[in-house]
Amino acid sequence: MSNSTTTDEERILRVWTPVILRTILIAAIVVLLFGLFSMAWQSSGYYVAHFHRLQGHANYQHRESWSSLASTALHGDPHGIMTIGLMVLTLVPLARVAFCFLLFVKERDGIYIALTAYVLIGLVAGVVLGRVG
Amino acid sequence: MLIMGGLLALAAGAGFIGALSGLGGGVFIVPALLIFAHIPIQIAVGASLISVVATSAGASVAFVRDGWTNLRVAMALECATVTGAVTGAYLAGIIPAWVLELLFALMMLQSAYFTVTKVGDSILPRSDKLAARLQLGGRIPADTGGHEVEYGVVNVPGGALLMLVAGLMSGLLGIGSGALKVMAMDYVMHLPLKVSSATSNFMIGVTAGAGALVFLARGDVATVIAAPVALGVTAGALAGSRLLPHVNVQSLRMMFVAILVLIAIEMGWRAISGF
Repeated sequence: MSNSTTTDEERILRVWTPVILRTILIAAIVVLLFGLFSMAWQSSGYYVAHFHRLQGHANYQHRESWSSLASTALHGDPHGIMTIGLMVLTLVPLARVAFCFLLFVKERDGIYIALTAYVLIGLVAGVVLGRVG
Repeated sequence: MLIMGGLLALAAGAGFIGALSGLGGGVFIVPALLIFAHIPIQIAVGASLISVVATSAGASVAFVRDGWTNLRVAMALECATVTGAVTGAYLAGIIPAWVLELLFALMMLQSAYFTVTKVGDSILPRSDKLAARLQLGGRIPADTGGHEVEYGVVNVPGGALLMLVAGLMSGLLGIGSGALKVMAMDYVMHLPLKVSSATSNFMIGVTAGAGALVFLARGDVATVIAAPVALGVTAGALAGSRLLPHVNVQSLRMMFVAILVLIAIEMGWRAISGF
């Protein structure tokens, strides 16, 4: 396929990438579904009220610390569970890049180690920027 | 739960059309949330970015497994798209809604142009100096089957510049920017079309993920919207991709163009009214 010098990394990618990505993706979808059904079952009034509040409210911000988020999710709060599900979902691209980084380290390919590290740092910088911005 | 069911259905429809048109669900879910659910664009963008991550994660797995994704091209260009996406997502929290709506209208017109002007491959036998140093060239199965043909890659800086714009648009507007990405790789860097599409699919998730992380960390993702949207778009995209081999997409092309132009007009009108 893409490059004549990348046979080994392709083989590893073909075996592991689908397994890892699918596992994270399915985990996120299961958590989201569970949260959504819990919300519909337990807190439908909260959902409707929250939805109407969002309509026409451009400056929505709901920032919670990760520890309080995890705590509410563990106590079965549907909002917390869904937020955790969304966070797990965004781990899929992070995991993909991290996996590529490991592959290039294994290949000892300096240029691509640097390029992939830049992408990883960019993703982490996005979290920091969002937190402080 | 009428509202939740409605959002799921709306998102599934957007994902379905996005998969059939090849433009992705993000292009359709943002205007759908604005027009039908009366959700402000910043919230729609945050929800859409999460749904783009979900759909691309599922779609790109098959391409990587089948060997069409050029991982080196993806990683080299991700530097540009991630930079653009993080910047765009940061700016989306600052700039007024009417500017976002105007940009969205322009992106719709670009997507319509892309849908109309899709052309075939123009494969080059060898890479230019920079692409050769980055080992970006590769091999694909020949049309006749049996053996593989080599392809080269050119104009990496030009492609990276367009990728920076694609990333910026993704972070600002909550779309995958697949049309821009394929244009950069196909027209500017002369990668084979199927490799461009597969590599773009691989990249879309990372680009959208970069933007989504900014939105999530900032607290700009409304969970009650984003959760049903992510699930609905993913289900719709899955159904669309299953149906894709059985429908004549060429005959639907003009309908997609009409939808995109209508969305562009609506978004443009909102921008002018909001200004």
